[in-house]
Amino acid sequence: MKHSYERCTRCILSAAFPRIEFDENGVCNFCRETILYTNETDSIEKARKQIENLLKKNKGNSEYDAVMCYSGGKDSTYTLMLAVKKYGLRVLSFTFDNGYISPTAFENIRRVTNYLGIDQFTFTPSKKNMNAIIKASALNPIYNARTLTRISAVCNSCISIVNMTALKIAIEKKLPFVLAGFTLGQIPLNGIVFKNNYEFLKESREAPLKRLREKAGEFVDSYLTLPDSLISEIDSYPHTINLLCLEKLTEEEIISSISEIGWIAPGDVDGCSSNCMLNSFSNMIHCRALGYNPYELELSHLIRKGLMTREEALAKISDQPVKQQQAVMKELGITENELDTLNGIYGKK
Amino acid sequence: MLENIKKLLLEFICRNFMVDENDVPQDRSLVDAGIIDSIGLIEISNFMEKEFNIMIDEEHLTRENFGSVEKMVNFIKRQMES
Repeated sequence: MKHSYERCTRCILSAAFPRIEFDENGVCNFCRETILYTNETDSIEKARKQIENLLKKNKGNSEYDAVMCYSGGKDSTYTLMLAVKKYGLRVLSFTFDNGYISPTAFENIRRVTNYLGIDQFTFTPSKKNMNAIIKASALNPIYNARTLTRISAVCNSCISIVNMTALKIAIEKKLPFVLAGFTLGQIPLNGIVFKNNYEFLKESREAPLKRLREKAGEFVDSYLTLPDSLISEIDSYPHTINLLCLEKLTEEEIISSISEIGWIAPGDVDGCSSNCMLNSFSNMIHCRALGYNPYELELSHLIRKGLMTREEALAKISDQPVKQQQAVMKELGITENELDTLNGIYGKK
Repeated sequence: MLENIKKLLLEFICRNFMVDENDVPQDRSLVDAGIIDSIGLIEISNFMEKEFNIMIDEEHLTRENFGSVEKMVNFIKRQMES
Protein backbone atom coordinates (compact mmCIF):
# COMPACT_ATOMS: atom_id res chain seq x y z
CA MET A 1 0.00 0.00 0.00
CA LYS A 2 1.32 3.45 -0.94
CA HIS A 3 1.36 6.21 1.68
CA SER A 4 1.13 9.92 1.04
CA TYR A 5 3.85 12.13 2.53
CA GLU A 6 5.37 15.38 1.27
CA ARG A 7 8.88 14.40 2.34
CA CYS A 8 10.61 11.37 3.90
CA THR A 9 10.51 11.57 7.67
CA ARG A 10 14.06 10.17 7.99
CA CYS A 11 15.96 11.85 5.14
CA ILE A 12 14.80 14.87 3.10
CA LEU A 13 13.80 13.28 -0.22
CA SER A 14 10.48 14.75 -1.29
CA ALA A 15 7.44 13.12 -2.89
CA ALA A 16 8.45 14.49 -6.32
CA PHE A 17 11.75 12.52 -6.32
CA PRO A 18 11.73 9.79 -9.02
CA ARG A 19 10.50 6.33 -7.93
CA ILE A 20 10.03 7.32 -4.30
CA GLU A 21 7.58 5.45 -2.09
CA PHE A 22 6.84 5.97 1.60
CA ASP A 23 5.90 3.36 4.22
CA GLU A 24 3.29 3.91 6.90
CA ASN A 25 5.82 5.87 9.00
CA GLY A 26 6.74 8.17 6.12
CA VAL A 27 10.15 6.53 5.59
CA CYS A 28 11.14 6.39 1.91
CA ASN A 29 12.27 3.31 0.01
CA PHE A 30 15.77 4.83 -0.44
CA CYS A 31 16.25 4.90 3.34
CA ARG A 32 14.75 1.41 3.74
CA GLU A 33 16.67 -0.32 1.01
CA THR A 34 19.69 1.97 0.57
CA ILE A 35 19.14 1.31 -3.11
CA LEU A 36 21.90 3.56 -4.36
CA TYR A 37 24.62 2.78 -1.86
CA THR A 38 24.89 -0.95 -1.30
CA ASN A 39 28.18 -2.43 -0.03
CA GLU A 40 29.56 1.06 0.47
CA THR A 41 32.42 0.14 2.81
CA ASP A 42 33.73 -2.57 0.47
CA SER A 43 33.52 -0.28 -2.54
CA ILE A 44 35.33 2.57 -0.76
CA GLU A 45 38.11 0.24 0.39
CA LYS A 46 38.46 -1.14 -3.13
CA ALA A 47 38.69 2.41 -4.49
CA ARG A 48 41.25 3.36 -1.80
CA LYS A 49 43.54 0.46 -2.80
CA GLN A 50 43.16 1.28 -6.48
CA ILE A 51 44.01 4.95 -5.84
CA GLU A 52 47.03 4.08 -3.69
CA ASN A 53 48.37 1.78 -6.42
CA LEU A 54 47.78 4.38 -9.13
CA LEU A 55 49.51 7.12 -7.14
CA LYS A 56 52.47 4.88 -6.34
CA LYS A 57 52.89 3.99 -10.00
CA ASN A 58 52.41 7.47 -11.52
CA LYS A 59 53.69 10.05 -9.01
CA GLY A 60 56.65 12.16 -10.08
CA ASN A 61 56.59 11.31 -13.78
CA SER A 62 55.23 14.61 -15.15
CA GLU A 63 55.46 18.39 -14.71
CA TYR A 64 52.62 18.05 -12.16
CA ASP A 65 51.09 14.87 -10.76
CA ALA A 66 47.56 16.16 -11.16
CA VAL A 67 45.31 18.99 -12.19
CA MET A 68 42.78 19.78 -9.46
CA CYS A 69 39.34 21.21 -10.29
CA TYR A 70 39.32 23.83 -7.56
CA SER A 71 36.15 25.91 -7.14
CA GLY A 72 37.20 27.62 -3.91
CA GLY A 73 34.30 25.92 -2.11
CA LYS A 74 34.75 23.99 1.14
CA ASP A 75 34.86 20.47 -0.35
CA SER A 76 37.37 21.21 -3.10
CA THR A 77 39.49 23.22 -0.65
CA TYR A 78 39.66 20.21 1.69
CA THR A 79 40.38 17.89 -1.26
CA LEU A 80 43.22 20.14 -2.45
CA MET A 81 44.65 20.13 1.05
CA LEU A 82 44.41 16.31 1.15
CA ALA A 83 46.12 16.01 -2.24
CA VAL A 84 49.07 18.19 -1.26
CA LYS A 85 49.51 17.47 2.46
CA LYS A 86 48.30 13.88 2.89
CA TYR A 87 49.15 12.37 -0.50
CA GLY A 88 52.16 14.58 -1.31
CA LEU A 89 51.01 15.32 -4.85
CA ARG A 90 52.39 18.15 -6.99
CA VAL A 91 49.14 19.77 -8.02
CA LEU A 92 48.20 22.38 -10.61
CA SER A 93 45.08 24.10 -9.26
CA PHE A 94 42.51 24.98 -11.93
CA THR A 95 39.48 27.22 -11.37
CA PHE A 96 36.61 27.71 -13.78
CA ASP A 97 35.14 31.20 -13.51
CA ASN A 98 31.54 31.12 -14.72
CA GLY A 99 31.13 34.83 -13.94
CA TYR A 100 29.23 34.18 -10.71
CA ILE A 101 31.97 33.05 -8.33
CA SER A 102 31.77 34.87 -5.00
CA PRO A 103 34.62 37.40 -4.49
CA THR A 104 35.24 35.70 -1.11
CA ALA A 105 35.71 32.38 -2.95
CA PHE A 106 38.39 33.96 -5.13
CA GLU A 107 40.09 35.32 -2.02
CA ASN A 108 39.94 31.80 -0.57
CA ILE A 109 41.53 30.39 -3.74
CA ARG A 110 44.38 32.90 -3.50
CA ARG A 111 44.95 32.30 0.22
CA VAL A 112 44.77 28.49 0.05
CA THR A 113 46.96 28.07 -3.04
CA ASN A 114 49.51 30.49 -1.55
CA TYR A 115 49.48 28.57 1.72
CA LEU A 116 49.97 25.26 -0.07
CA GLY A 117 52.60 26.76 -2.37
CA ILE A 118 51.04 25.51 -5.60
CA ASP A 119 50.44 26.98 -9.07
CA GLN A 120 46.96 28.26 -9.85
CA PHE A 121 45.25 28.77 -13.22
CA THR A 122 41.81 30.35 -13.83
CA PHE A 123 39.82 29.91 -17.03
CA THR A 124 37.15 32.56 -17.69
CA PRO A 125 34.95 32.08 -20.78
CA SER A 126 33.40 35.19 -22.33
CA LYS A 127 30.44 36.44 -20.29
CA LYS A 128 28.24 36.47 -23.41
CA ASN A 129 28.94 32.81 -24.14
CA MET A 130 28.66 31.70 -20.52
CA ASN A 131 25.36 33.50 -19.97
CA ALA A 132 23.97 31.93 -23.16
CA ILE A 133 24.89 28.45 -21.86
CA ILE A 134 23.39 29.16 -18.43
CA LYS A 135 20.17 30.56 -19.88
CA ALA A 136 19.76 27.69 -22.36
CA SER A 137 20.38 25.11 -19.59
CA ALA A 138 17.90 26.79 -17.26
CA LEU A 139 14.99 27.16 -19.66
CA ASN A 140 15.23 24.05 -21.85
CA PRO A 141 15.31 20.28 -21.24
CA ILE A 142 18.96 19.89 -22.30
CA TYR A 143 19.75 16.93 -20.02
CA ASN A 144 17.91 13.72 -19.14
CA ALA A 145 15.71 13.92 -16.06
CA ARG A 146 17.69 10.99 -14.59
CA THR A 147 20.97 12.93 -14.80
CA LEU A 148 19.27 15.71 -12.87
CA THR A 149 18.46 13.56 -9.82
CA ARG A 150 21.91 14.53 -8.49
CA ILE A 151 22.52 17.99 -9.93
CA SER A 152 20.75 21.00 -11.42
CA ALA A 153 20.90 21.54 -15.18
CA VAL A 154 22.87 24.78 -14.82
CA CYS A 155 25.41 23.14 -12.48
CA ASN A 156 25.68 20.21 -14.88
CA SER A 157 26.63 22.56 -17.72
CA CYS A 158 29.30 24.27 -15.61
CA ILE A 159 30.65 20.96 -14.29
CA SER A 160 30.80 19.57 -17.84
CA ILE A 161 32.96 22.53 -18.90
CA VAL A 162 35.11 22.11 -15.77
CA ASN A 163 35.63 18.40 -16.51
CA MET A 164 36.38 18.95 -20.19
CA THR A 165 38.83 21.80 -19.51
CA ALA A 166 40.60 19.76 -16.82
CA LEU A 167 40.82 16.82 -19.23
CA LYS A 168 42.33 19.11 -21.89
CA ILE A 169 44.92 20.40 -19.40
CA ALA A 170 45.80 16.88 -18.26
CA ILE A 171 46.19 15.64 -21.85
CA GLU A 172 48.20 18.66 -22.98
CA LYS A 173 50.56 18.37 -20.03
CA LYS A 174 50.48 14.56 -20.01
CA LEU A 175 49.32 14.45 -16.38
CA PRO A 176 48.14 11.10 -14.99
CA PHE A 177 45.36 12.47 -12.75
CA VAL A 178 42.44 14.85 -12.66
CA LEU A 179 41.32 15.53 -9.08
CA ALA A 180 37.78 16.57 -8.18
CA GLY A 181 36.16 17.42 -4.87
CA PHE A 182 32.91 15.47 -5.12
CA THR A 183 31.47 13.55 -2.18
CA LEU A 184 29.39 10.37 -2.18
CA GLY A 185 25.82 11.41 -2.78
CA GLN A 186 27.01 13.84 -5.44
CA ILE A 187 28.53 10.98 -7.42
CA PRO A 188 27.86 7.21 -7.38
CA LEU A 189 30.23 4.80 -5.61
CA ASN A 190 31.75 3.72 -8.91
CA GLY A 191 32.72 7.30 -9.64
CA ILE A 192 35.35 7.59 -6.87
CA VAL A 193 38.08 6.63 -9.33
CA PHE A 194 37.74 5.99 -13.04
CA LYS A 195 39.81 6.17 -16.19
CA ASN A 196 38.57 8.81 -18.61
CA ASN A 197 37.57 7.61 -22.03
CA TYR A 198 36.77 10.40 -24.45
CA GLU A 199 34.89 8.26 -27.00
CA PHE A 200 32.64 7.01 -24.20
CA LEU A 201 32.19 10.54 -22.88
CA LYS A 202 31.55 11.97 -26.33
CA GLU A 203 28.88 9.39 -27.09
CA SER A 204 27.07 9.94 -23.82
CA ARG A 205 27.11 13.71 -24.28
CA GLU A 206 26.17 13.77 -27.96
CA ALA A 207 22.43 14.29 -27.49
CA PRO A 208 22.60 16.96 -24.74
CA LEU A 209 25.42 18.74 -26.60
CA LYS A 210 23.28 18.87 -29.75
CA ARG A 211 20.39 20.39 -27.78
CA LEU A 212 22.71 22.88 -26.07
CA ARG A 213 24.24 23.83 -29.44
CA GLU A 214 20.78 24.46 -30.89
CA LYS A 215 19.72 26.67 -27.99
CA ALA A 216 22.97 28.48 -27.10
CA GLY A 217 25.07 28.42 -30.28
CA GLU A 218 27.78 26.50 -32.15
CA PHE A 219 30.44 27.95 -29.85
CA VAL A 220 29.56 25.42 -27.12
CA ASP A 221 31.72 22.83 -28.91
CA SER A 222 34.87 24.73 -28.04
CA TYR A 223 34.09 24.31 -24.32
CA LEU A 224 32.63 20.81 -24.36
CA THR A 225 34.67 18.78 -26.84
CA LEU A 226 38.33 17.93 -27.39
CA PRO A 227 39.93 19.17 -30.62
CA ASP A 228 41.03 16.42 -33.05
CA SER A 229 44.61 17.73 -32.89
CA LEU A 230 44.67 16.96 -29.16
CA ILE A 231 43.00 13.55 -29.49
CA SER A 232 45.73 12.46 -31.90
CA GLU A 233 48.34 13.21 -29.19
CA ILE A 234 46.79 10.99 -26.53
CA ASP A 235 48.88 8.05 -25.34
CA SER A 236 46.75 7.24 -22.32
CA TYR A 237 43.80 8.99 -20.70
CA PRO A 238 44.16 10.31 -17.14
CA HIS A 239 42.25 8.87 -14.19
CA THR A 240 39.76 11.08 -12.39
CA ILE A 241 39.96 10.71 -8.59
CA ASN A 242 37.62 12.03 -5.89
CA LEU A 243 39.82 11.85 -2.78
CA LEU A 244 37.20 13.29 -0.43
CA CYS A 245 35.00 10.20 -0.93
CA LEU A 246 37.62 8.19 0.99
CA GLU A 247 37.18 10.34 4.12
CA LYS A 248 34.31 10.22 6.61
CA LEU A 249 33.91 13.80 7.79
CA THR A 250 31.14 16.12 8.89
CA GLU A 251 30.80 19.55 7.28
CA GLU A 252 31.84 21.06 10.61
CA GLU A 253 35.08 19.06 10.62
CA ILE A 254 35.86 20.07 7.03
CA ILE A 255 35.24 23.77 7.73
CA SER A 256 37.25 23.62 10.95
CA SER A 257 40.28 22.17 9.10
CA ILE A 258 40.24 24.56 6.16
CA SER A 259 39.61 27.58 8.38
CA GLU A 260 43.05 26.93 9.86
CA ILE A 261 44.61 27.65 6.47
CA GLY A 262 42.62 30.83 5.88
CA TRP A 263 39.37 29.68 4.27
CA ILE A 264 36.39 31.96 5.03
CA ALA A 265 32.71 31.11 4.35
CA PRO A 266 31.29 33.51 1.74
CA GLY A 267 28.21 35.45 2.86
CA ASP A 268 26.78 35.97 -0.63
CA VAL A 269 25.83 32.39 -1.53
CA ASP A 270 22.90 30.11 -0.63
CA GLY A 271 22.82 27.37 2.02
CA CYS A 272 23.92 24.64 -0.41
CA SER A 273 26.95 26.35 -1.93
CA SER A 274 30.21 27.73 -0.57
CA ASN A 275 31.43 29.48 -3.73
CA CYS A 276 28.78 30.16 -6.41
CA MET A 277 26.26 33.01 -6.49
CA LEU A 278 24.37 31.27 -9.29
CA ASN A 279 23.41 28.29 -7.16
CA SER A 280 20.21 29.59 -5.60
CA PHE A 281 18.88 30.50 -9.06
CA SER A 282 19.83 27.04 -10.40
CA ASN A 283 18.07 25.34 -7.47
CA MET A 284 14.93 27.43 -7.95
CA ILE A 285 14.83 26.48 -11.66
CA HIS A 286 15.27 22.79 -10.74
CA CYS A 287 12.44 22.96 -8.19
CA ARG A 288 10.13 24.63 -10.72
CA ALA A 289 10.93 22.11 -13.47
CA LEU A 290 11.17 18.87 -11.47
CA GLY A 291 9.48 19.59 -8.15
CA TYR A 292 12.40 18.87 -5.83
CA ASN A 293 15.67 20.49 -4.73
CA PRO A 294 18.75 19.09 -6.56
CA TYR A 295 20.62 18.75 -3.24
CA GLU A 296 18.08 16.38 -1.70
CA LEU A 297 19.91 13.21 -2.79
CA GLU A 298 23.33 14.37 -1.57
CA LEU A 299 22.09 15.71 1.77
CA SER A 300 19.94 12.62 2.36
CA HIS A 301 23.03 10.49 1.87
CA LEU A 302 24.86 12.54 4.54
CA ILE A 303 21.90 12.09 6.92
CA ARG A 304 21.93 8.30 6.42
CA LYS A 305 25.67 8.24 7.07
CA GLY A 306 25.20 10.19 10.30
CA LEU A 307 27.25 13.12 8.97
CA MET A 308 24.40 15.65 9.04
CA THR A 309 21.10 15.97 10.91
CA ARG A 310 17.80 16.16 9.06
CA GLU A 311 17.24 19.62 10.55
CA GLU A 312 20.60 20.85 9.24
CA ALA A 313 19.80 19.52 5.78
CA LEU A 314 16.36 21.12 5.77
CA ALA A 315 17.89 24.44 6.84
CA LYS A 316 20.31 24.25 3.90
CA ILE A 317 17.69 23.70 1.23
CA SER A 318 15.49 26.39 2.81
CA ASP A 319 18.28 28.97 2.66
CA GLN A 320 17.63 30.15 -0.92
CA PRO A 321 17.94 33.96 -1.06
CA VAL A 322 15.34 35.34 -3.48
CA LYS A 323 17.43 38.47 -4.05
CA GLN A 324 20.25 36.35 -5.49
CA GLN A 325 17.78 34.58 -7.79
CA GLN A 326 16.36 37.88 -9.00
CA ALA A 327 19.82 39.35 -9.61
CA VAL A 328 20.73 36.38 -11.82
CA MET A 329 17.41 36.54 -13.68
CA LYS A 330 18.02 40.22 -14.42
CA GLU A 331 21.57 39.52 -15.60
CA LEU A 332 20.34 36.73 -17.92
CA GLY A 333 17.22 38.57 -19.07
CA ILE A 334 14.84 35.88 -17.81
CA THR A 335 11.25 36.88 -17.01
CA GLU A 336 8.70 35.47 -14.54
CA ASN A 337 6.61 34.40 -17.54
CA GLU A 338 9.49 32.23 -18.76
CA LEU A 339 9.71 30.58 -15.32
CA ASP A 340 6.03 29.69 -15.60
CA THR A 341 6.82 27.54 -18.65
CA LEU A 342 9.25 25.30 -16.71
CA ASN A 343 6.73 23.04 -14.99
CA GLY A 344 6.69 19.70 -16.83
CA ILE A 345 9.43 20.42 -19.41
CA TYR A 346 11.08 17.10 -18.50
CA GLY A 347 7.84 15.16 -18.97
CA LYS A 348 5.87 13.45 -16.23
CA LYS A 349 7.25 14.07 -12.73
CA MET B 1 24.19 -18.63 -19.01
CA LEU B 2 23.12 -15.74 -21.26
CA GLU B 3 19.77 -15.49 -19.50
CA ASN B 4 21.41 -15.33 -16.07
CA ILE B 5 23.85 -12.62 -17.20
CA LYS B 6 20.96 -10.64 -18.68
CA LYS B 7 18.89 -11.00 -15.50
CA LEU B 8 21.71 -9.69 -13.28
CA LEU B 9 22.54 -6.86 -15.67
CA LEU B 10 18.92 -5.76 -15.97
CA GLU B 11 18.47 -5.91 -12.18
CA PHE B 12 21.46 -3.61 -11.78
CA ILE B 13 20.28 -1.18 -14.47
CA CYS B 14 16.76 -0.98 -13.04
CA ARG B 15 17.92 -0.57 -9.43
CA ASN B 16 20.74 1.84 -10.12
CA PHE B 17 19.19 4.03 -12.77
CA MET B 18 15.70 3.99 -11.31
CA VAL B 19 13.84 2.56 -14.29
CA ASP B 20 11.32 -0.23 -14.81
CA GLU B 21 12.47 -3.26 -16.77
CA ASN B 22 9.80 -2.52 -19.39
CA ASP B 23 11.47 0.84 -20.04
CA VAL B 24 14.88 -0.70 -20.79
CA PRO B 25 15.34 -1.32 -24.53
CA GLN B 26 17.18 -4.57 -25.35
CA ASP B 27 18.55 -3.61 -28.74
CA ARG B 28 19.19 0.12 -28.43
CA SER B 29 21.84 2.19 -26.68
CA LEU B 30 20.93 3.07 -23.09
CA VAL B 31 22.55 6.45 -23.72
CA ASP B 32 20.32 7.07 -26.74
CA ALA B 33 17.32 5.93 -24.68
CA GLY B 34 18.15 8.58 -22.07
CA ILE B 35 18.63 6.01 -19.28
CA ILE B 36 22.32 6.61 -18.57
CA ASP B 37 24.90 9.38 -18.93
CA SER B 38 28.71 9.28 -18.93
CA ILE B 39 28.93 8.32 -15.25
CA GLY B 40 26.30 5.65 -15.96
CA LEU B 41 28.59 3.97 -18.48
CA ILE B 42 31.37 3.91 -15.88
CA GLU B 43 28.97 2.46 -13.32
CA ILE B 44 27.91 -0.33 -15.68
CA SER B 45 31.46 -1.26 -16.66
CA ASN B 46 32.54 -1.32 -12.99
CA PHE B 47 29.49 -3.44 -12.11
CA MET B 48 30.40 -5.90 -14.86
CA GLU B 49 33.99 -6.23 -13.61
CA LYS B 50 32.87 -6.89 -10.05
CA GLU B 51 29.80 -9.05 -10.65
CA PHE B 52 31.18 -11.24 -13.43
CA ASN B 53 34.84 -11.12 -12.42
CA ILE B 54 36.00 -9.92 -15.83
CA MET B 55 38.61 -7.37 -16.90
CA ILE B 56 37.45 -4.42 -18.98
CA ASP B 57 40.18 -2.46 -20.74
CA GLU B 58 40.01 0.90 -22.49
CA GLU B 59 39.74 -0.70 -25.91
CA HIS B 60 36.63 -2.64 -24.82
CA LEU B 61 34.67 0.54 -24.17
CA THR B 62 33.04 0.72 -27.59
CA ARG B 63 29.54 0.95 -28.98
CA GLU B 64 30.04 -2.55 -30.35
CA ASN B 65 30.34 -3.92 -26.79
CA PHE B 66 28.18 -1.46 -24.85
CA GLY B 67 25.69 -0.28 -27.50
CA SER B 68 22.71 -2.21 -26.08
CA VAL B 69 21.77 -4.67 -23.35
CA GLU B 70 22.09 -7.54 -25.84
CA LYS B 71 25.58 -6.39 -26.85
CA MET B 72 26.63 -6.02 -23.21
CA VAL B 73 25.39 -9.54 -22.40
CA ASN B 74 27.33 -11.01 -25.33
CA PHE B 75 30.42 -9.01 -24.38
CA ILE B 76 30.27 -10.30 -20.78
CA LYS B 77 29.92 -13.87 -22.02
CA ARG B 78 32.93 -13.49 -24.35
CA GLN B 79 35.04 -12.02 -21.57
CA MET B 80 34.05 -14.76 -19.12
CA GLU B 81 35.03 -17.41 -21.65
CA SER B 82 38.31 -15.82 -22.71
